[in-house]
Amino acid sequence: MSDSSPRPVVEAPAGSPRGDASRAWTLSLPEDASTHGHRIDALLGWSHRFEAGLALVALGWLAVAVWRFRGARRAASDGGTRRSRAWVLGLALSVFLVVDGTLLVGSEGYLRDVLWNLEVPAKDPRTVRIEINAHQWSWEARYAGADGRFGTADDVVTWNDLRVPAGVPVWVQVVSTDVVHGFSLPHFRVKLDAIPGRVNQTWFQAAREGDWEVACYQHCGTSHYRMRGVLRAVSPESYATWLQEAGRQAERVYDADDTAANWGWEWKAP
Amino acid sequence: MSLFATDHKAVARRYLWSGLGFLLFGGLLALLIRWQWAFPGQPVPGLAWALPESRGALTPPTYTAVFTMHGLVMIFFAVTPLLFGALGHFVLPLAIGARGLAFPRLSSVGYWVYALGGVLVLASFGLRLGPASAGWTAYPPLSTSVFTPGLGQTLVTVAVLCAGVSAFLYGLNFVVTVVRCRAPGMTWGRLPLTVWGLFYASVLNVLFVPVLAAATVMVLMDRLLGTQFFVAGAAAVGGGGDPLVYQHLFWLFGHPEVYILILPAWGMVGDFVAFFSRKPAHGYRLTAGAMGAVSALSGLVYAHHLFTSGMSPVLGRTFMVLTLLISLPAEVMFLNWLMTLWRGSVRLTSPMLAALTTMVVFGLGGITGLALGAVATDVPLHGTLWVVGHFHLTMGAASFLGVFAGLYFWFPKMFGRALHEGLAKAHVLVSAVLFLGVFGGQLAAGYAGQLRRLYDPYQYTFLRHLLPLNQWTTACAFLLGAVQVLFVVNLVWTLRRGRAAGPNPWSVGTLEWTCAPSPPPEDNFPHVPVVLRGPHALSQPESLERLGRDWLGQAEALPGEPASASASEPPALGVVT
Repeated sequence: MSDSSPRPVVEAPAGSPRGDASRAWTLSLPEDASTHGHRIDALLGWSHRFEAGLALVALGWLAVAVWRFRGARRAASDGGTRRSRAWVLGLALSVFLVVDGTLLVGSEGYLRDVLWNLEVPAKDPRTVRIEINAHQWSWEARYAGADGRFGTADDVVTWNDLRVPAGVPVWVQVVSTDVVHGFSLPHFRVKLDAIPGRVNQTWFQAAREGDWEVACYQHCGTSHYRMRGVLRAVSPESYATWLQEAGRQAERVYDADDTAANWGWEWKAP
Repeated sequence: MSLFATDHKAVARRYLWSGLGFLLFGGLLALLIRWQWAFPGQPVPGLAWALPESRGALTPPTYTAVFTMHGLVMIFFAVTPLLFGALGHFVLPLAIGARGLAFPRLSSVGYWVYALGGVLVLASFGLRLGPASAGWTAYPPLSTSVFTPGLGQTLVTVAVLCAGVSAFLYGLNFVVTVVRCRAPGMTWGRLPLTVWGLFYASVLNVLFVPVLAAATVMVLMDRLLGTQFFVAGAAAVGGGGDPLVYQHLFWLFGHPEVYILILPAWGMVGDFVAFFSRKPAHGYRLTAGAMGAVSALSGLVYAHHLFTSGMSPVLGRTFMVLTLLISLPAEVMFLNWLMTLWRGSVRLTSPMLAALTTMVVFGLGGITGLALGAVATDVPLHGTLWVVGHFHLTMGAASFLGVFAGLYFWFPKMFGRALHEGLAKAHVLVSAVLFLGVFGGQLAAGYAGQLRRLYDPYQYTFLRHLLPLNQWTTACAFLLGAVQVLFVVNLVWTLRRGRAAGPNPWSVGTLEWTCAPSPPPEDNFPHVPVVLRGPHALSQPESLERLGRDWLGQAEALPGEPASASASEPPALGVVT
């Protein structure tokens, strides 16, 4: 077993919670620490421009109409002309094509290249594979150890303490052994349900070294709010050193009869 | 008035009082959640009697029960009963010229099943382990007895089933009533948009509430009978069930449900902007068609709730496209409302203000949902307060303001007394502004990453800076709660000594205002009206010239117009045109 006492996360100032108050009003996402998250952020940026534009037009139109026609002496007697109805349809269709089209195309690009493209971690020889077992209320993570195979004596298991090398694809497979949990890395734009009875998988890549938080986003019982872990992105060298040392220790304390501790599974092909 | 009266107006009043009571209750639960996020773990003033062990502070188990019950109470016991039970029951038969609902006794039975559910909900708070606490979605295995033991979760699950039975019964009743019981001449093209909204939503009720009932019964069997529909698959338990099946069943109901909660309000907005712009609705057929398109699509988009459940890319892409598609008819409808205002003569009455503010909050709610419809942008926002702010704007704030638009509009007809306009307007306006404050604050917090349902969000360092924002949002929420006093005062005062309302205080032409006194007698109309025109015959040159007023009743013949034009045709009862 590796050391499992999480150190304080260094990313946020440890002082008063109010220290960072000004950021609360800027409508900003959590800092992006991943290699690919900027694509989502950029798409969200576009979506905000559309939101602002649509809100401005719709609410502005409403305000102008009320202001201009309030108590007007005469009202039109028709329910629109063929032309005005065509305008409504045309305008709705154009807005739909531009806004929804942008979101669809942008989203599809990200899905094709990153989120649903497990070819990337599968083909990269440096890829780090992690099995995550979510349960009330902690994240248990398993590394294959030196032999590269899960479910063997040198598997490294950590609690609420994920370690990954920076700049390398990290491929995670997630299960749950009790209720539905949600594995999320807010700073890496990663979210994936941990569902009893099935293995879900996703991947990400840390852009730089640093400590970030793992959070549960599915209500999983009384202490759902405490299902917090720490993810440490370290240099590939120190990762390798850590894994080697932790693997040696794991082998020393391995107990083949402890079935509850040996929950690892054969890595699932995508 | 007998508590077992089957007259649709009596049933409506029963739903109204129960619904308002549960609205208050659900609102108080919401304030507890807000308190917890602003002052985590600190005693709630005045709550020590209920939580003596913690001196009034919410504990994690209490908190999970509070947010679970807030959602369930609001959706199943407050908003749907108010929109359908109260407003729907009251206005639907009147607006189509029927003497009652197709199945009057069924509507009364439906109320009592709902009331039984309500009693179970309230009783569950007295149990040792408290009420349900597995979230309003009640995902298994968490909602099974293995992980949420106790009678509370079971009772509340039965209560939801009761609410479902009542929703199915009035849904069926409304559908049959609209199809079979329209007055002669009340063709589909002459229905008020409110009736269209109620009709579509009722169809959705009939189709999708049984899915919820099925899922709920299976959870109950898992809890009580030892079946393993959703328990198993869990390695800890063994067996062959699948928790994910429940999620699909639940959202197959759950997503149409959000349209069930908003379609009646859409209908009312469509009518009220026409009534109080004193002109016919722009593109009536387009609007009715758009509402129909949304209803048709509503059952085909649900899996966007499951974008992170690890479903196959094929499904993910399909549901992304279908979800985005639903924004098209919604835009058509919204633009038609705006076009109705244009070149009208806008009168800012209390129902009109409520309708306009419904448009504002619904518009913002719809816009903030766009990013949730595409998989990539959904990922960072999924399960955060962004989602909470988005759906509270649409089915919380918009449905709430829609309810009050309808209540302020039909109150004179329901009770024969006129509410105080100034108080009503102040209530609507201030509520709308505070709604934007509360749910805007939630959108901002969610965008910054705050996850839902966290007892203490500040356990996470990346959320700590959100405390001041959450406190500001909480202040808005408490003010919003306080402002409701305006409505209560207005209601109590009006019922006791409000001035009598005329038969048609808003000067509009729909049947309930032009063919029935306020309040209408037991069988609604002295004689069944013969409908001659659509619901928005406003500012028509003929009526201005010949009658000197800008409205014309749906069943009112102009001088010289043959009143029996439609009556000479075969009776239109049940004729689908």
